[in-house]
Amino acid sequence: MANSTPSSGPKPKWRQQLDALLEPPEADSRRTSWPTLMLFLAPALLVYAALTAYPVVRTFYNSFFIISDASSTEFVGLAHFVDVFKDATFLAAVRNTAIWSMVAPFFDVATGLLLALCLYAGVPLSRFLRVAWFVPVLLSYVVVGIMWVWIYNYDWGVVNVVLRNLGLGHWVHAWIADPKFALPALMVTHAWKWAGFNMVVCLAAIHSLPSEVLEAAELDNCGWWDKLVHVIIPMLWPTLLNLYILAFIGKMKVFDLVWVMTEGGPIWSTETVSTYVYKRAFNWNTFDLGYPSAIAVVWFFVVIGFVVFFNLLFRRRERLEY
Amino acid sequence: MKALGLFSSTAITQRVVPAVAGLFVGAFLVGPVLAQAPQQSVTMWSHWPDEQSKRGFIEERVKVFEAATPQCKVNLQFIQKADLYASVKTSVRTGQAPDIFWLEPDEIAFAKSGFLEPLDSYINLNNLEDWARQSWGHNGKVYGLPVEAYTVELYYNKDLMKKLGVTLPATMQLAQAQFTDMVKKSAAAGITPVASGVGDRPYPGAYLLQEVLLRKLGLDDYRALLTGKLSFNDPRVIEGMNWVRELVDAGAYPKSFSSLKLGESHYYFHTNPGALMFPIASWYTGRAFVPAEKGGQPQGFQLGLMKYPALNDSKCPECKTLAVGGSYVMYAKSKNKECAGKLLNSMATVENGNKWMETVLLQTGVRTDPSRIQSIHAQYFKDLQERSVGAKFFIGTPLHYMNGKCGDTFSQVLNRAFPAGLISVKDAATQMDAACKATS
Repeated sequence: MANSTPSSGPKPKWRQQLDALLEPPEADSRRTSWPTLMLFLAPALLVYAALTAYPVVRTFYNSFFIISDASSTEFVGLAHFVDVFKDATFLAAVRNTAIWSMVAPFFDVATGLLLALCLYAGVPLSRFLRVAWFVPVLLSYVVVGIMWVWIYNYDWGVVNVVLRNLGLGHWVHAWIADPKFALPALMVTHAWKWAGFNMVVCLAAIHSLPSEVLEAAELDNCGWWDKLVHVIIPMLWPTLLNLYILAFIGKMKVFDLVWVMTEGGPIWSTETVSTYVYKRAFNWNTFDLGYPSAIAVVWFFVVIGFVVFFNLLFRRRERLEY
Repeated sequence: MKALGLFSSTAITQRVVPAVAGLFVGAFLVGPVLAQAPQQSVTMWSHWPDEQSKRGFIEERVKVFEAATPQCKVNLQFIQKADLYASVKTSVRTGQAPDIFWLEPDEIAFAKSGFLEPLDSYINLNNLEDWARQSWGHNGKVYGLPVEAYTVELYYNKDLMKKLGVTLPATMQLAQAQFTDMVKKSAAAGITPVASGVGDRPYPGAYLLQEVLLRKLGLDDYRALLTGKLSFNDPRVIEGMNWVRELVDAGAYPKSFSSLKLGESHYYFHTNPGALMFPIASWYTGRAFVPAEKGGQPQGFQLGLMKYPALNDSKCPECKTLAVGGSYVMYAKSKNKECAGKLLNSMATVENGNKWMETVLLQTGVRTDPSRIQSIHAQYFKDLQERSVGAKFFIGTPLHYMNGKCGDTFSQVLNRAFPAGLISVKDAATQMDAACKATS
């Protein structure tokens, strides 16, 4: 053994433990010693620590201070957290984000499933449509946002032009300028962007369904609607749930699209928690990073809470993959 | 051996002596250059990427400075205001901000937080207007070079005005009822009465209301309103808001008001579809006085300048907003303060003040000598000056006084929602009071 030579006396216990730790276990060739492990892990760990762990820890730390000066900070304890829950704009942002996160994923998943079923049914030009429907996924939020601001333009946007040409001029609206329509308008845009992603996932899931079950349904003279509702959707349920949860988590953090299209307006009707944090940190003419950090911490726990909730809810029913 | 050969007498004669001689000659030639201070590279970020006259003015000043000061090199970049602000607000905290950057005085928090270098020892403060110095003052020091200054003006299209059959009085200021009639007549004729857009700015939608309130309240009470010491539910303020709401309901603003961007609102006014009036600061010229193919107003466009209307029983009908706009500041942690200071000082001269006014057709916080100004737009400049004759100036815009929650509420409510007719007078006043009294 490497840790016992004839010339040396008995080693102290701590040294034996250290040697045992550093020595590669011979019984399992897949395991290696700690130094070797660390050598390979260190670069990734360093990057993770610097770019993820440290900012998170620092945000938690900042949330207990007022940091508005170049050289000094003031400890305020839990004062920011108390203020957060009295902040009307934050509460409006929570309401908007909650509506978006809860409601919009239904549309996202339903649209994706519908498109996937179209392709599965072999509609004409399905190869072209598959690419065309997926293209928005590849576009950045900035491009999508600018495009849809034009589409929603009151004077010459496609939506209003079509409505006017159909004789539905009384339905014409300033879609993203009216607090009643602004949030739904953003949700439609977001669903349009992600429909292609949901479609691809649903299509892959449909193709992997056991053919004998579908054939059995057909042998039993099951119509297309019944086959969809009673056979396909139940078998796709785990996939649809995963898509819903992915969409839910994504929307809890939505920022880019809102910022490009409405900046949270009009009168905070599309403000989300992320846009509000950004405004408080970088857009208001103040320099305090403490309060926005407190909002970020609160929201971090809300998101974690929902993830745990969904895990508990579906743990025994489905295996979630996200 | 070859290595030894280097030190043989022949080698010394043939190689080392010329080399040493060369070194001496080289040192003689290069010495003066090496003796100079090492070249400093100053990084400068400016707004106005799409305003050719301002951009050209700054580029020219930098070029002249570099020629006169060889030890200083300037890395000048033009960045849109929103992107510039987002970058500098992050980079000042990390020590990565440029040596000189563009700011407006509503961002005085940069100075209060210790991120800016006082300019008192770098530039000749006597070359700055007193009111402009005050705009950048904090703790008795001056923190910005106020290159741009402006008055809040009401531009109009003379042709459309004629088409509507409206004749302005010699004072160029309509009374409340006359202005209301004009707006209604314009809307009825299918001409948008007031071009304005708030898609990318937190203030243009409130220009009409703020100027009306300034005239109604007078300098002191208007200041009290902006600093949270006078309620937005004051009867005089409510009267002003009710009147603006009447105009809004009469169709004063474009339907696309909320999504129209500042640059687009210029185009909306002078080109397509065209509007009767355009309430905007006098930096209108920056975007409008460029060739039409670059987005400027069409050749032969009949631009007029009128005064904002005054409500009945206004305390100060002659009042007007004057403010410092784009300015240049120095980063407190700059490693090139010497060159940065020299550059700013080279810009702060009466000669450059005159050049700014001649080329940009806009006021400046740098002192000027109007008698020496010549420009192809002399008539416009004459009109601009005439509209300010006898005016009492209020220094600063609402956002120069409001910050945090109050500023955000101003942007969302008075700038966006109120002129769009999305919120009642009572709700708007209540929201402003709730946000601004708390922060006053």
